[in-house]
Amino acid sequence: MSDVPFILALQPRTSHGLGAQTKLRHEVMTVLSLFSLLWACIVFLWSAPAFASSDYHEQLFLQPFPQSSLLASFNFRSNTSQASFDNQHFRYFPRALGQILQHANTKELHLRFTTGRWDADSWGPRPWNGSKEGGTGVELWAWIDAPNDDEAFAKWITLTQSLSGLFCASLNFVDSTKTTRPVVSFEPTGDHPESSNLHLLHGALPGEVVCTENLTPFLKLLPCKGKTGISTLFDGHKLFDAAWQSMSVDVRPICTRQGDCTIQIEQTVDMVLDIERSKRPRSNPIPRPVPNEQLVCDTSKPYNSEDTCYPLEKVTEKDWSLSEVFGRPLNGICPLADSDGSAEYPVCIRVPHERGIFYTEGTKEFKLDDGFTRCFDLDPSKPFDLAIPEQPINIQAPLDEPILHAERTIVGHGQERGGMRIIFENPSPTAAVDFIYFESLPWFLRPYIHTLQATITGRDGLRREIPASDLVSETIFRPAIDRERGTQLELALSVPAASTVTLTYDFEKAILRYTEYPPDANRGFNVAPAVIRILNGVDSSPIYIRSTSLLLPLPTPDFSMPYNVIILTSTVIALGFGTIFNILVRRVVLVEEAEALGSQTIKGRILGKVLALRGKFGRKETKVE
Amino acid sequence: MSATQGDVKSLQAQDAPDAPKSVKRAPPPETSQAIYTRFKVIAAFWAVIIFLGFPIWWKTTSIYRAHLPIQDMLEWANGKTCRPVFPLEIHLMTPTMQLPESQHLLRTTQHALDDLNEFAAHHLRLKLVNDSSALNVEQREKASGTDAEEADIALTVRVLSQDDLPAPRSYLHAETTQLDIFYPPNQAPIPSSSNPPLSVFIAQELQQLYWEEKATIAHVLSGETGNLDSISPQLAESISRRFRRSMKYADTYHLSFSLFTPGSAPSSWDIEAAVQEYLAPLLNEFASISNFTIDTQVQLYASFSPMAPSPVFEETEAAWTLQKEDLSAFINAAEWPLNPSIGSGPTLNFILYVPSPSQSPLVVKENHASSWIVPQWGGVFLLNPPLSSDSTNPSHLSKDSLRPAFMTFSHQLLTLLGTPTTPSSLPLRLQALVRVRAASLLLSASSTMGSLARLTESLPSIPIPATVASSVSDTLSHLSAACTHMKHGRFSAALANARIAEIEAERSFFEKSMVGQVYFPDEHKIAVYLPLLGPIGVPLIVGLMKELKRIVATLKARRANAA
Repeated sequence: MSDVPFILALQPRTSHGLGAQTKLRHEVMTVLSLFSLLWACIVFLWSAPAFASSDYHEQLFLQPFPQSSLLASFNFRSNTSQASFDNQHFRYFPRALGQILQHANTKELHLRFTTGRWDADSWGPRPWNGSKEGGTGVELWAWIDAPNDDEAFAKWITLTQSLSGLFCASLNFVDSTKTTRPVVSFEPTGDHPESSNLHLLHGALPGEVVCTENLTPFLKLLPCKGKTGISTLFDGHKLFDAAWQSMSVDVRPICTRQGDCTIQIEQTVDMVLDIERSKRPRSNPIPRPVPNEQLVCDTSKPYNSEDTCYPLEKVTEKDWSLSEVFGRPLNGICPLADSDGSAEYPVCIRVPHERGIFYTEGTKEFKLDDGFTRCFDLDPSKPFDLAIPEQPINIQAPLDEPILHAERTIVGHGQERGGMRIIFENPSPTAAVDFIYFESLPWFLRPYIHTLQATITGRDGLRREIPASDLVSETIFRPAIDRERGTQLELALSVPAASTVTLTYDFEKAILRYTEYPPDANRGFNVAPAVIRILNGVDSSPIYIRSTSLLLPLPTPDFSMPYNVIILTSTVIALGFGTIFNILVRRVVLVEEAEALGSQTIKGRILGKVLALRGKFGRKETKVE
Repeated sequence: MSATQGDVKSLQAQDAPDAPKSVKRAPPPETSQAIYTRFKVIAAFWAVIIFLGFPIWWKTTSIYRAHLPIQDMLEWANGKTCRPVFPLEIHLMTPTMQLPESQHLLRTTQHALDDLNEFAAHHLRLKLVNDSSALNVEQREKASGTDAEEADIALTVRVLSQDDLPAPRSYLHAETTQLDIFYPPNQAPIPSSSNPPLSVFIAQELQQLYWEEKATIAHVLSGETGNLDSISPQLAESISRRFRRSMKYADTYHLSFSLFTPGSAPSSWDIEAAVQEYLAPLLNEFASISNFTIDTQVQLYASFSPMAPSPVFEETEAAWTLQKEDLSAFINAAEWPLNPSIGSGPTLNFILYVPSPSQSPLVVKENHASSWIVPQWGGVFLLNPPLSSDSTNPSHLSKDSLRPAFMTFSHQLLTLLGTPTTPSSLPLRLQALVRVRAASLLLSASSTMGSLARLTESLPSIPIPATVASSVSDTLSHLSAACTHMKHGRFSAALANARIAEIEAERSFFEKSMVGQVYFPDEHKIAVYLPLLGPIGVPLIVGLMKELKRIVATLKARRANAA
C-alpha cells in the first residue's frame, strides 16, 4: 500500500455521490464516539467508491486498557451484489448462510454470541457503541419479509432451526415464549425497499454457553478461513478465556439511490483479554505468586516489614506481544482484502505515539495525527508480530465516559413474589439522556406494572420518590400468555443530568408444571438481559447497552413427588376399599364361633398339620431316649 | 337363645373327654338371605369392574389402527396387480412410396421386429403416418402430450429413397426424435417378397436403438439382466454400475458448483456465463423430467484432510498424481462446506479443484484422468490452469477455461441422473430415462407398500393414523393410474403418477406417529399402578374365588340330593 490513502485520509469528505455521503455520515457517527480519533481513517474507508472491486475487508484494532487488559476488535466485511445473491452465486458471501436467509425470507439478520461482562467503569464505552454486541448467551434479531405475522413467525422458526444447525447453538429453542416483536428498540440498519412488508422478530437465549463449537462455524464463514490474515489469531482457548467477548454476524442490504443493491455481511469478534492471564503458557496455566524479591512494597506503611507487604500498583505497563497474548503470530494478510490497493490498514493499535512498539521487519507504520492511533501495513508473505516493551506510563490513551450506566437486579425474598430493580445513572453534568428500555420477561415471571415506581437521586444526593410517569414518556407493554409468549416491555425514559434513577416493580413467580422444569431446576431460570437504546440526537445512530442476565429462582417441587403421590393415594384408596369390601362380604360371628371355624380355614388346617407333625417328632424323640 | 345354650352345653359334654380345655362351638349355618346378599355384593363389584372399568381401560389404552388394504398392498408388492409393459409407438413415414408399398413395408418391418424381440414387456409398434400430416409431426408430437388418449410418439422414422446408394443407410438426428433411412431405389420393397432387405434393415436399426434401454428395463424389472441371453456381460455390468451410481429420482435436484483451491487464487470464476452457456441447454431438455436449482460458491484455502494421502510427484509424467484408491478421501468432508442445499430434493455437488501452483499439474495416476464421479453424490474435476510467469494461479477463471470442466460436469450430471449412454440422440435418451424412471418408481412404491403391510402385520402394537390410510389409498390409485398409462404408451403421464405414488408411499411409511409406542412400555405402567391394583385386586379375587367355590359346592350338593 502506498502513502496515497494516508494523505487522502487527512482530508476526508472528498466529493462523492450524495447518497453515499449521507449514508457515510450516518456510519461515521456510529463509530465516532468510541474510536473518535480514528475518524479520519474510517471516513476514508467509507468514502471509498461505494462498490469497490475488492469487496472484502478485514481489520484488527487493538487497545490496551488500564489494569493490564487488552481490547482486540476484529472486523470482517464483504459484499455481494443483490443479483448474484438472488441467483445463488456466492463468492465471498458464505453459501450456507445465504441459502438459509433466502429460504427464511430474511432481509436483515443480526446474530450475537456473547460471554462475560463489559466492565464499563474500567474500560469505558463499548466497542462499536454496543451495536455489535449481544446480551449474555445468544441473541438473534431479524427482519423477515412476510405477508402477515403468522407467516413471519413460521419463517422465523425456519431461520432459528437452520441457524442452530449452522452455528452449533441451541437456537432451535427460541420458540414463541422466547420470541418478541420489539416496536421501538431496534431499527433496520440496511436499506429496504418501501414495498417490503418487514417483520422484526427478536429472540434471546441467556443460558446458552458460547464456546469453541460456535467459533469454528463462524471462522468457516470467512473467505480466508483463519488460514491467513487477522483471523489466524483466533484460538478457542484464548478467545473464550477472555474477560468479555462478543461475536457478531450482521447481514443487511445496502442500496444506492439508483437502486443498485449489495448484500453486506459483517462479522466482528471483540474481546477483552487479561494480558497476564493470556500470557501464561498453555503447558503451565496455573498462576504463581509473585516472588518476594519482585514485589514492590509500600514502605511508608507502618506494618511494612520483611514478611508483610502492601503491594504498590505498577507504574509501568506490562510488556506484551501478539504472539504471547494470542498464542501465535499473525500469519500474513488475507490477499482478498487488498486486491485494488485501497483497502484499510489490516492492523491498528491505539496507544500514545511516544510509546515504543516493535514490529516485524517489512511492516510499514503509519501514525495517525490524533496522537494515539497508529496503523500497520503488513508484508503479505511474512508472519507479523507486534510487541510492546515494559515502559513507564506517562500518558494513557483517554477513555470516554459512558453516556449511561445501567444495572438490573432481582430483589425480594420468598418463593412467591419478587421485585425488579433497575438503576440508571447519568454521569453527564449537563445533558439528560433519552433512551428506550426494552425487557423481555419469561411468562413465568408475572410483572405488576401498576407497581412501577421511580426514585431519583439528584446532585444533592437526596432520594426522592417521583411518579414513574414523570420519567417514562411512552410505555409499550404486551402482557404474557402462559406457555405461549413472554412479557414484552418497552419504556421510553429520560434521566436528567447528573442523577440516578431507580425503577422498581413487583412480580409474581408462577408455578410450573412438573415436566416444564429443566434438569437443573434449582439453579434458577435465566431472564434475558435488558436492552437499552440511547437516542442522543436525531442524526446519530443509537448506542446500545445491555444489562447482565438474571437468574430467577422459582419454587421447585420435590421431583419424586408423583411417585409418592401415586403410592400414597393408592394405599389410602386400597385401605378404604378393603375395609368397605370386607364389611360387606365378611360374615360376623362370635369369637368362640370363629375358633370353631378356624379349623376349616386354610390357616387352621396348616396349624393343625404343624401340630400333628410336632406330635409325631416329639414321640420319636422319646422313643430314642 | 336358651335352646342354643342348651346345645352348647350338650356339645361341651360330648367333647369333654377328648379335649377338656378347648371350648369349640360351630356358628349357626348362615341364612340363605345372608349368602345371597354376599353373592350380590361380589357380583356388583365384579360387574362394575367388567362392565365399566374394563371397557374404560380398553378404550383409553387402545391404539388407533386405521384399516389398510393389506391384501392389495401385498399384491402390488408381489407384482401380481401390474406387470409393467412398454409399448413404444413409432411412426413410419414413407414420403417416396406408394401407399400399398408403405403398408407392405410396415407389415414386414413389424414382423421382423417381433422376430428380433426377445423381451416381451418392451415392444415397438409401428404406425404408418400419411404424408399430409407428416409435415407437422412436431406439432402433433406436442399435442399428443396434452391429449390423454394418445400414446407418446417415441420415434419418427422417415424412409427416403436416395440415388447412388449401394446399400440402405440410416441417420439419427441428434437434436430430435427422428431417424432417417435412406435406401437405393432398386431396393424398394416389392409387395410380393415376404422378407424384403429394407424391412430387415429398419428392424435391425430400431432394435439397435433400443437395445440398451431394453436391457436397462429388464434390469429394473428383474433386478438382474440374466433373463436376456443376448446381452453382453460388459453391457450388463455397465448398466448395473450406472444404477449404483445414479441418484434416486427426485422432482427437484439442487446442483451445487464449488470452486475449491488450497491457496488464495483463483478467487473468482465466470460462473454465471459458464452455467448459461454450457449447462442451461441440457437442463432445459431435462425440464420435463426434473427441475434444477443451481448455486455456486468459491472456497479458498481448502486444504486436504490430514488423513488423506497427499499427491505424489511422478518424475516420468512430470505431474503430481493421486492414487485411484485414494480418490474417496480427496474430499475433505469435515472442513469443506458442502452441506446440502435447503429445500426438498437431493443435492448434486460438482467440485472444480484448482491445485496449488506447487502441486500443479495434478492428475489421477492410473489413467491420467482429471475427473471422477462420486457415486450418488456428485463429481470432481481437477483443473490445472496455466501458471502465470511468477508461477501463481490466475486470479480469475474465464468462461473459456471453464469449458472442459463444464463439459465434464454435464456428462457427470447425465450419469448421476441415470441417463442411458446410447443412442446418440439426447431426446431419445431422455425418453428412455422417463421409461426407466417410471418403471423403477412404480416398483419402489409397490415394494414400499409391501413393506408397510408387512410392518403393520408384524407389529400389532403400533398405531396406524388415518393419514397413513389415506396416503396408502392415494398411492394405490396412482399406482394403478401409472400402470394404465404405461400400458397405453403414455410414459410421461405414467412417470407423473408414479412420482406421486412414490411420494405418498414414502410419507405413509415414514409417518412419525407410528413409532410412538416405544416410550410407554407396559412394565412402566404396571410399576405405577401396582400399588393400587395389588391391594384392591387381592380381596376382590379372593372373594370371587370363595364365592365360586361355594356355588360349586352348592351345585354338587344339589346334584347329590337329586340323585
